[in-house]
Amino acid sequence: MSTMNPAMTREGEMADENRAQEQVEAPAETIIEEGTTVGRPFSDDPKFKLRNVEVFYGQDRAIKNISLDIGRNEVIAFIGPSGCGKSTFLRCLNRMNDSIDICKVKGSLALDDQNIYDSKRDVVELRARVGMVFQKPNPFPKSIYDNVAYGPRIHGLANRKSELDDIVENSLRKAGLWNEVKDRLDATATGMSGGQQQRLCIARAIAVSPEVILMDEPCSALDPIATARVEELISEMSESYTIVIVTHSMQQAARVSNRTAYFHLGHLVEVNETNKVFTSPEHDLTESYITGRFG
Amino acid sequence: MPDRKDDVYGDHISHKFNDELMALKSEFLEMGGLVESQVDRAITALVDNDGHLADEVRATDKKVDRMEVDLDEEATLIIARRQPTARDLRLVISVIKMVADLERVGDEAKKIAKFAIKLSEEGQAPRGYVEVRHIANHVLSMLRDALDAFARLDSAQALRIMKEDKRVDEEYQAATRTLLTFMMEDTRNISRCMSVMWILRALERVGDHACNLAENVIFMVEGEDVRHTPVEEAERIVGP
Amino acid sequence: MTDQKTQAELVRRSLKVRYRKERRFRAYGILAIGIALSALIVLFADIIGKGYTGFTKTTITMDVEMDGEMMFLDDATDEQQLKMADFVEPLVQAMIKQIPGADEDDRDKVRGLLNPYASNELKNLLKANPDWLGETHTITVLAHTDVDVYVKHAGDAAYSIKLSDEQQRWVDGLLESGVVDTSFNDVFFSSGDSRDPSRAGILGAIVGSLLTMFVTLVLSFPIGVAAAIYLEEFAPQNKFTDFIEVNINNLAAVPSIIFGLLGLAVFINLFGMPRSVPVVGGLVLTLMTLPTIIISSRAAIKSVPPSIREAAEGIGASKMQVVLHHVLPLAMPGMLTGSIIGMAQALGETAPLLLIGMVAFIVDVPEGFLDSATVLPVQVFLWAGSPELAFIERASAAIMVLLAFLISMNALAVWLRKRLELRW
Repeated sequence: MSTMNPAMTREGEMADENRAQEQVEAPAETIIEEGTTVGRPFSDDPKFKLRNVEVFYGQDRAIKNISLDIGRNEVIAFIGPSGCGKSTFLRCLNRMNDSIDICKVKGSLALDDQNIYDSKRDVVELRARVGMVFQKPNPFPKSIYDNVAYGPRIHGLANRKSELDDIVENSLRKAGLWNEVKDRLDATATGMSGGQQQRLCIARAIAVSPEVILMDEPCSALDPIATARVEELISEMSESYTIVIVTHSMQQAARVSNRTAYFHLGHLVEVNETNKVFTSPEHDLTESYITGRFG
Repeated sequence: MPDRKDDVYGDHISHKFNDELMALKSEFLEMGGLVESQVDRAITALVDNDGHLADEVRATDKKVDRMEVDLDEEATLIIARRQPTARDLRLVISVIKMVADLERVGDEAKKIAKFAIKLSEEGQAPRGYVEVRHIANHVLSMLRDALDAFARLDSAQALRIMKEDKRVDEEYQAATRTLLTFMMEDTRNISRCMSVMWILRALERVGDHACNLAENVIFMVEGEDVRHTPVEEAERIVGP
Repeated sequence: MTDQKTQAELVRRSLKVRYRKERRFRAYGILAIGIALSALIVLFADIIGKGYTGFTKTTITMDVEMDGEMMFLDDATDEQQLKMADFVEPLVQAMIKQIPGADEDDRDKVRGLLNPYASNELKNLLKANPDWLGETHTITVLAHTDVDVYVKHAGDAAYSIKLSDEQQRWVDGLLESGVVDTSFNDVFFSSGDSRDPSRAGILGAIVGSLLTMFVTLVLSFPIGVAAAIYLEEFAPQNKFTDFIEVNINNLAAVPSIIFGLLGLAVFINLFGMPRSVPVVGGLVLTLMTLPTIIISSRAAIKSVPPSIREAAEGIGASKMQVVLHHVLPLAMPGMLTGSIIGMAQALGETAPLLLIGMVAFIVDVPEGFLDSATVLPVQVFLWAGSPELAFIERASAAIMVLLAFLISMNALAVWLRKRLELRW
């Protein structure tokens, strides 16, 4: 979804929404009351404080009055059927939606109590703090070294070559890729396997030492082994980063996250401890979705 | 197979998954019915001094064992193939646990049948059978209600069964005391009374298992584990 | 079972029809390609058949006695004397010696075999070697165009032979004795246009083309790429940019002669630039190629996967860094290819250049951007329209040169793309 052009994404979402609407024969009690979220949407120590967030694509309201806290150093998973707005919401967190002209974001979104959508706020600085990993591994068609070094270079994080070397090595180590590629840092990144490419993208994201890493379906293009590696990486990284992950694989959400948020047609239906969501979710829609009754 | 539209486990996108869950459920109920009739027939054999019926009960226990193995395997396959979550996961897990309880109940029925044979061979007018009959009716209704609660996902009924268990225990205590009096009256009764004691004990165990089934039904429906928690807690969970 | 069998039977029968349809469809395709290929082959065969003789020249080689008295010349270093001297006579005398049965009375007929410029060649030789005066040297001079035509196309009905029967016999004899001979036409590649077909060359046109193309490239590539980047990456999506986009697409379809009119009106009449010069030609061709370059560059930019853009943005690259570091390098092969193809189109363009006066008859090879010049396709146009038949082979030869340029430019485009795409 992330790789499609904005117009297409939007069309796809609309089509999906209509389909989802037809499929859900929601009983009376499952009708969602706007702006209400069951479970524990708030956190004691929030990294992101998001209140009454609404996102419009032209006339269409893609995100409908969502309030959510994302805690410091927690792994939160966004799940939901296609077109439920989870990717759109994720992209608000580092303003990746800015490049879409018709996309308007309303409400208050704060990172460490600073407004993300402040007109004075520099997007470049925000994105250095909030890194992103995409659905399809998208390394630059350059060498492995240059891929990782690109971020530190443009942000001027290293003054000397040796410093840059250290950053590259550390990032690759953290991404669990160092031993595989240390002898061929000059090889082009596009020649790596899909799983390696995705871990390289993660290394590239952590090379600029962000505080938050957003992951938009990071494993959807990977085989199970590569997926397991990336998941392992996520749980290792959760000690030092706040991680927000959008995923279509409920098992993955169950495995890697502390909290799980369920999105439905632009509403945030339920946020709860992952353990609770996958054994006894509070909301009927969540239950229907995770047990495979629609979606 | 029941109509899937009416069943909360029958509305998955995957029809195969629906069928598997429904099959698991209905086979479990079938096993429950069989176990229930085992207990009932064992008691009848005892009260009627019917050694033949008791033999039949002992033979049928093999079938119960067979069903336990089959159900466990089905449940395992569902977990392996479907990775059930939430309600579905709770159903499968509960079934695995309850199957073990049912099998135990089957074993108790077999034990009762064994004593029934023994007592019928001794061939004297039974004493204490009134109490046995009484408790048996009680635990049988608990068992039936537990299976009903499972079939109808009725956690309130399950909660009632949990409370009922206390009364079975009280009745068991009372019956034991009565039997003790018999034994003190006439020492020749001791051997037979001991057998009846064992039967009462077995029935009390059946009540415990019925109570376990009820706890599992509450877990299945409400998603909260009520084992080893005070009844008040369970009441809060089940709600008004 | 029977149902299944008949169904399989039905499928098999429908398969047969399907295969037949597929075969027919393929045959149409092959036929279409065959027609296109044969048209191409006919075209090439015609051009090469007509033009290959343009690459040869007919020469006369003989011993010439440079008798000072005959030439009214006693000092070959004296400019004044050189101007007055008669260089035709020694050549004619030498020819008469070579032709059995010719005598003084046939002077005019013999002279008709010599190229009018042959005396000039002799003059230049003597000027370079003044001490040759009075000596006899073997000299090669160009034959007359009529001789050239006779030697190359004696049996061809399309060419009228202007030589008399006697002259033809002489030429036959001279051919046999090796006095008249054909060799590689260096004149064609080393001189400018001329009224005399055997002296006409395309060097002037080639240099004119190169100068014009240089101006076009220097102007259109940066402007086109910059416009494409702005439109694709920075321009807001609104009615105005839509309007611009539609008009760029329209411009690409405007007949090229309109650009010539524009150039005439703006560059020459309004700005007062000189006519017939490569700068104006280059400007006009720039106008013409810009839409092509903009459109192909935009396509190249669009084909850069959005995931790369997102990746860069996700790390915190600014818009300009995204464009300069990622989009541009990846789009460059496509942009270059588009530009080269646009240039090739411009190289073959005639119509707009006719209007800005690059169709003038220019003998000198241009030496700068402000010298009058013509270009290859215009030269072809000029020669092809010439009443003199000997120019037709020149035109065909020039077409071959032009085609060689175009093919090598396209090959360069392919090579560049292959080369640059390897980095992916």
